[in-house]
Amino acid sequence: MNAAQVEVLLQTLIAGVLLGGLYALIGLGMTLIMGVMKIINLAHGELMMVGMYIAYWMFSLFGIDPYVSVFIAGPLLFFLGILIQKYLINTVLRVDSILPENQVILTVGVGMILASAATIAFKSDYRSTPVKYGTSAFYLSDLWKGSPIELSLSIPWSVSFLFALAITAGLWFFLQRTDTGKSIRATAQDLDAALLMGVNVQRMRVVTFGLGSALVGAAGCLFIPIYYLYPALGGQFTLIAFVITILGGLGSNVGAILGGLILGLFESLTATYVGMGWAPVGRFVIFIAALLFLPGGVASLLRRRAFGK
Amino acid sequence: MKRSASGLMAASAFLLATAFGHAAEPFNLAIPLPLTGGQAKFGEMMKRSYEMAAEEINAKGGVKGRKIVLSFEDSQAKPDSARAIVEKLIDVKKQPLIVGEYTSACAKAVAAVANERKTPYLIVASADDSITQQNYKYVFRQNVPNAYYAQGLVSFLREKVQPKTMAILYESSDFGTSGAADMEKWAGKLGCKVLVKEKYEKGAVDFKPILSKVKQAAPDVLFMVSYVMDASLLMKQIKELRLDAKLYAGGAAGFALPEFVDNAKDAAEYVMTATLWTPQVKYKGAKEYADKYKAKYGDFPSYHGASAYSALHVVHDALSRAKSMKSEDITEALKKTKLQTAYGPVAFEDKDGYQNQCFSETFVLQVQAGEHETVWPYAYANKKFIYPFPRWRDRK
Repeated sequence: MNAAQVEVLLQTLIAGVLLGGLYALIGLGMTLIMGVMKIINLAHGELMMVGMYIAYWMFSLFGIDPYVSVFIAGPLLFFLGILIQKYLINTVLRVDSILPENQVILTVGVGMILASAATIAFKSDYRSTPVKYGTSAFYLSDLWKGSPIELSLSIPWSVSFLFALAITAGLWFFLQRTDTGKSIRATAQDLDAALLMGVNVQRMRVVTFGLGSALVGAAGCLFIPIYYLYPALGGQFTLIAFVITILGGLGSNVGAILGGLILGLFESLTATYVGMGWAPVGRFVIFIAALLFLPGGVASLLRRRAFGK
Repeated sequence: MKRSASGLMAASAFLLATAFGHAAEPFNLAIPLPLTGGQAKFGEMMKRSYEMAAEEINAKGGVKGRKIVLSFEDSQAKPDSARAIVEKLIDVKKQPLIVGEYTSACAKAVAAVANERKTPYLIVASADDSITQQNYKYVFRQNVPNAYYAQGLVSFLREKVQPKTMAILYESSDFGTSGAADMEKWAGKLGCKVLVKEKYEKGAVDFKPILSKVKQAAPDVLFMVSYVMDASLLMKQIKELRLDAKLYAGGAAGFALPEFVDNAKDAAEYVMTATLWTPQVKYKGAKEYADKYKAKYGDFPSYHGASAYSALHVVHDALSRAKSMKSEDITEALKKTKLQTAYGPVAFEDKDGYQNQCFSETFVLQVQAGEHETVWPYAYANKKFIYPFPRWRDRK
């Protein structure tokens, strides 16, 4: 391997880790909801789109930086999630129906409504937040003059990645250390047992859906400085979140983080060494392979090791 | 008894219609377009342009005294929806001709339906070469095919750049694939070696892996076929990676839109692109159209709008000359079109393996100080081209 090849490999790995960190945050929200509700929230990408619009308007109207909007879009999405859970999904849960999964179908509907409402309200224009630091980066050759290779580290990508890490850490703390967090985990582990232990399962569902929405809303704010926005963008990210959730092991948070990182790295490596056109194909190869060979996802591997000890 | 009664009623209704209503009856034209989804931006620009043209035509008395009433059907840039819409328009609404659509995949689907039903179809901005290479008698195309998109750009490369090596990145659609294949052929003729040729899925978030590969190959020219947001993202990430080529060029579509500069900001500077039309062309009516559009909607239109605007004038011209409002007669009239439009002279020829194809000059735009300027061919240039491009490191 000569210097140029090392440069390409390192640059690819950097790109993969940064992308994977953001993917993980998107996947986490869906996984959390999956764990407690046992349903796939197919409006996930659309909720992210809503978060991005909030960041976009905050930026265009008030000049608020998208990273500050994390603290605006997060809470707003939390309430939106609560409303969806409380007045739509819970209502459907109570109704007996032929289809057992009609809450899932409901989320598809919610997603469609959000996307159409955004098209009507904001038109289908592409939008982006042209922040000043949009294309700034650190360069290895600037820091170390004699460097044989040149690497660049994009500032907005790195900041988004760090935010994603911080949010993930915050979530971990919340789930491990707070009463509500413990109740959420209990509900996810065993609904009946949690109920018997006096956990307000109904409320945990509502909180979880809100939390999942807030996470993906925050992810939207982290994505907009490096990407762009249009009303129909949700589907693509729902799919990514879905793949991560399956790959990570339905409902496992650590699994979702690892799943996101694996997917990011896999896509970057595929793009460099196989061809970028293959990245979406690769995504589904991973998806099917996970279903066939690792039905419990990454989480099942972790669990197996834990039991082995 | 019943049957004859209804027959009588139909006959009298027909008589009534011919006696009174017919002359004032509007001419309804439904246009399939992407109005939602990723391509909606283009659909919207075309919709506005069709409407502007219809207003002008109606102000001058419409088609044979009938007002043109436009309606738009959203195909979401999905070929199957486009197909369903057009089947409905022809079979149910009995519309005698079809205009519209945008993406090549949709236009391909519509062309097949229209030709099968012997209904003329005028394409305004769909590039894939093969659409007018299938001996379709009823399919007409006003924009040049993809193989000709880069003609102006290639003449610039030949005369001013003489590149030895090239990299090609393109989106994996019909438009991107045929654009890349055509550029590869041109490169062969220029004696230029293609080092990297890679496709990507539209809407990708991160191009840096593939761009690092291009950077390693260090080509003289980087040619990209992309829609608008991919184009901005590509240039932004090229800047991030400090990928220095002597020239970055886009194959029309996304690179030619003002949104490209709005989104890529300083990363868009100096980027050249092939285009089919610019507001600065010297065709009669071009400037009036561009100014009117800008006054109304705030931005200059790209070739997509100009072509749509002119297409309706072409339709008006053909309908006015056609012997009747029947598809066969309209097809015959379209075939004989010779019209000066804001988009350029329109005539449909059978040439180079294409049928019913309009050939016109193509141009090169360069982003200078945040504006698209026409820099090639010389005769049309309003600014001098800047070449070679400064290295990223040396830019402010």
